[in-house]
Amino acid sequence: MTTDTATTDTAPADPATRPVTASPGSRRPSPRRRFLRHVLLCAVGVVMMYPLLWMISSSLKPSNTVFTDESLWPSTWDLGNYARGWTSLAEPFSLYLVNSLVIVTLSILGNLLSCSLAAYAFARLRFRGRTVFFALMLGTMMLPGHVLVVPQYVLFDRLGWLNTYYPLLVPHFLATNGFYIFLMVQFMRSLPDELDDAARIDGCGPFRTFWKIIMPLCLPAFATTAIFTFIAVWNEFFGPLLYLTDPDLYTVPLALRQFMDSEGQSQWGEMFAMSFVSLAPVIGFFIAGQKYLVKGIATTGLR
Amino acid sequence: MNPVDEPSGLRRRHVLGLGALAGVAAGLSGCGRGFGGKSDDDGKTELTMAWWGDAQRAGFTQKALDGFQAANPGVRVRTEYQDSSPYKDKLAARVAAGDAPDLMAMRFDSLREYADRGTLLDLAQHTTDLDLTGLTPQAKALGQVGDKTFGVPSGLNTIGFIVDKTLTDKYGVPIPDGDTWSWEQLGTFAAAVTKASGSKVYGANFELWTTANLLVFARQHGEDFFSPQGKLDVREATVVAWLQLAEDLRARGAIPPAGFIDQNNGASPAQSYLAKKSIASQIIPTNNLLGFDQACGGNLQLLRIPGETQGARRGQSIDTPALWSIAAGSKHPQEALKLLDFLTNQAEPAKLCAATRGVPPNRAIAEQIAPTLEADNKRSSDFLSKLQTEKLPPSYPYPVGASKLTNILKSISTEVEFKRTTPADAGKQFIAQAQKALTA
Amino acid sequence: MTTVRARRQDNAGYLFLLPWFAGILFTVGPFLASLYLAFTDYDLLTAPRWAGLDNFRAMLHDDKLHQSLQVTIVYTVISVPLSLAVALGVAMLLDRGVRGLAIYRSIYYLPSLLGGSVAIVMLWRYIFGYQGIVNHFLAWFGIQGPGWNSDPRFALSTLILLHVWTFGAPMVIFLAGLRQIPAMYYEAAAMDGASPWRQFRSITVPLLSPIIFFNLIQSLIASFQTFTQGYVISNGTGGPAESTLFYNLYLYQKGFAEFDMGYASSMAWLLLIIIAGFTAINFLAARYWVFYDN
Repeated sequence: MTTDTATTDTAPADPATRPVTASPGSRRPSPRRRFLRHVLLCAVGVVMMYPLLWMISSSLKPSNTVFTDESLWPSTWDLGNYARGWTSLAEPFSLYLVNSLVIVTLSILGNLLSCSLAAYAFARLRFRGRTVFFALMLGTMMLPGHVLVVPQYVLFDRLGWLNTYYPLLVPHFLATNGFYIFLMVQFMRSLPDELDDAARIDGCGPFRTFWKIIMPLCLPAFATTAIFTFIAVWNEFFGPLLYLTDPDLYTVPLALRQFMDSEGQSQWGEMFAMSFVSLAPVIGFFIAGQKYLVKGIATTGLR
Repeated sequence: MNPVDEPSGLRRRHVLGLGALAGVAAGLSGCGRGFGGKSDDDGKTELTMAWWGDAQRAGFTQKALDGFQAANPGVRVRTEYQDSSPYKDKLAARVAAGDAPDLMAMRFDSLREYADRGTLLDLAQHTTDLDLTGLTPQAKALGQVGDKTFGVPSGLNTIGFIVDKTLTDKYGVPIPDGDTWSWEQLGTFAAAVTKASGSKVYGANFELWTTANLLVFARQHGEDFFSPQGKLDVREATVVAWLQLAEDLRARGAIPPAGFIDQNNGASPAQSYLAKKSIASQIIPTNNLLGFDQACGGNLQLLRIPGETQGARRGQSIDTPALWSIAAGSKHPQEALKLLDFLTNQAEPAKLCAATRGVPPNRAIAEQIAPTLEADNKRSSDFLSKLQTEKLPPSYPYPVGASKLTNILKSISTEVEFKRTTPADAGKQFIAQAQKALTA
Repeated sequence: MTTVRARRQDNAGYLFLLPWFAGILFTVGPFLASLYLAFTDYDLLTAPRWAGLDNFRAMLHDDKLHQSLQVTIVYTVISVPLSLAVALGVAMLLDRGVRGLAIYRSIYYLPSLLGGSVAIVMLWRYIFGYQGIVNHFLAWFGIQGPGWNSDPRFALSTLILLHVWTFGAPMVIFLAGLRQIPAMYYEAAAMDGASPWRQFRSITVPLLSPIIFFNLIQSLIASFQTFTQGYVISNGTGGPAESTLFYNLYLYQKGFAEFDMGYASSMAWLLLIIIAGFTAINFLAARYWVFYDN
């Protein structure tokens, strides 16, 4: 496997013969292999980082050199993009950030609640029609959304929900996104059945079993759902575009798009400055949320 | 340790956190905005107005509307604007759902998609509220379908050939006379630039997939690309000549090799190959001159399209970047007409919007604001004014289905560019597909 | 006894599904509407007219539709396994105790965060344009590379690469899944002297199989519905020369640019049937390789 003799002295090269500790995460490979792994991870990292670096760099260039000055280090600096971007739309940019935060927070809450309930039913309860409903749930993911736009618009119009956040929020509270249900179903199904049996023997009904046993064990799935919901809702463009008309209700993606006119002049510098600003909450949430990815059964041990 | 206890403690904290988040959200939304808590019930008539453009144009437009609202205290105008492609999608969905804005910006090539399906108000029926007498017949024709009028140009423009004089000076290539140059001269000029620069700069970008460009070429061949009845009226030979022209230009090195130009690069000046200084000239809509000049370093020359004096007749025409239309189902047509009249016949909004929407269609207004324009806008405005005094073929709304032609042309010209088909075959294909697109 | 238990679970099941049932009421209306529209001639702006099977018949002779199906299937068949393999590989690499794990994870997730933004489009032009980085590199060897984005022969490949590059989402799901595999299995296997490959095959794959299966189904459905990436890179045209004309992009063109929502609706239902078919096959196959702990 490795020709480096030093590694065989310090630690066995084959992970199989390594001293075993509590989790696979704490097996220590040799320094050399660790170094190589970091080199590999860093190299890939640079490629992954490039768009972000490009965006930051573009946010510091004057609008008309954004596309002509291809180096990451701006030849002319324009720090004013941030101040102008913050103020040059109809409302201060902070308003759009707050609007987006409100929608995102409520959407996450709605998704976690409604999808986990549905997922628990599909994953761990037996009831008539389960297979049919499950197929129906998957089916709702398969129809291209474009053909639903007009009927949905008519529906929300009838409900008097145009120009409000309801069309963007209510569906999240009603588990309309099969993706998250399916995700949680898969996680819940991989938990051992004995958990439910044990709970039942202890006198727990399905609600207590769900709340006390399954939910806590599905924290990684919940974190994943929260992260994905945050990103999807934060970046969503078409829904807010359709249903919001008042500029003071606009979300961040709508606001960002107002800097540009793809057939004329655009405030590219301002747009990238604000894009970068609005990326901060997403990155922050991801970093905060991913902590929970490590706290599953793996760290607590199961019996 | 009981495996279940520890995580449930975690969960409690988790739930607490979520509760706090919900509290924050509820607090933030306490004012009720976005949750149906809004009411401006002050008895004013509310007009909705939608258009495409960017934040800068929004600023001008809002100022103009403030003037209108000051003069009409009983009316409130709610505007909404987007970038052009999301605008198109939202407009289609809204009109389909019966929720059209009262006043809306309309693409020239989709006017009839909406008008022919009865969604737009016939403005010719409302001449008492909307005075169109200040418009030249050419300008008026842009919104006319038969004896009905479905749109008023928000501004006038045409296409022109811009040349980066900094580059041509650098390589010592003289710019031909822009009023009389031929397609042949374009080739010689552009090939000379490419050669002199050692292929660092190509002489011209030739967007042969833009319908407006081919339209001019067809007119120069004595044909109307679309007949007034909305049929395809271009001969196959003309389309073949158009595709062959590009092939010849490419062979001479006047335009870049196959694959150099990304058709989907985006039409904005900052993204253009001219701004990157890898190309010395191209066709643009004249109302974008200011933007291109700023992006290219401020030394652009504006020329007419080649072939204007050699062809069977003139090819250039007076066009519009956008029309204003009023929804047939508008609940307040009177006020909407009044607003449109204000935008068309008052100097103040025209002055505020300068030339971002093109030259004002009302001749008197255009002359009135001409002295207030920035140099580049003045230049494009003069360019257009001069054309307006000449005898040009009329331009009228494209027939239903015309918006499909750009994609057909793009596809077919790529096939030719990469030698997957010959101009002759491609021309035949184009005619067949275009005819189908216009009848379907 | 069993029937009582069964009934109790029936009720509990329906209770848990209450929000979902309410949601279905929301979706079912638009769904049925689009199903009806699939059998009509509907131009968005005037009332739909019943057209029977006309739309479906027209699909048989629509070359662009066939092209878009081909593009979508080629894209799916190549990019789904590729991106899942990369995602799983990186997830396993990161699942080991790497210093700075959180940073790597965040960085690798970045492209997925940016989604279909202009920054990504620009990056792709910058790398694969005629004068892009790849061609600069080739020029060292005296080769003039093609415009990878603008040449119909290569444009789809760059989109596949773009998809693989945004492996962050499945990676995060894999990571979450790997965290649920009890460490003691690996400990026991290591004690028995099982090689890493053996551990991967005998522990990771079976125990992760529900998650792998989820990612597979999810990627499959998403891939058949690919829209945003194709839309931003080709500016909605599906060019060059229809080489990146994804099914959903064509459907969108039909519905919103060409005002043929009836046809778009029938296309949507055809796609639903196709995706459902692929999904059903996978669910059947799953019986042989996906293991649930029950």
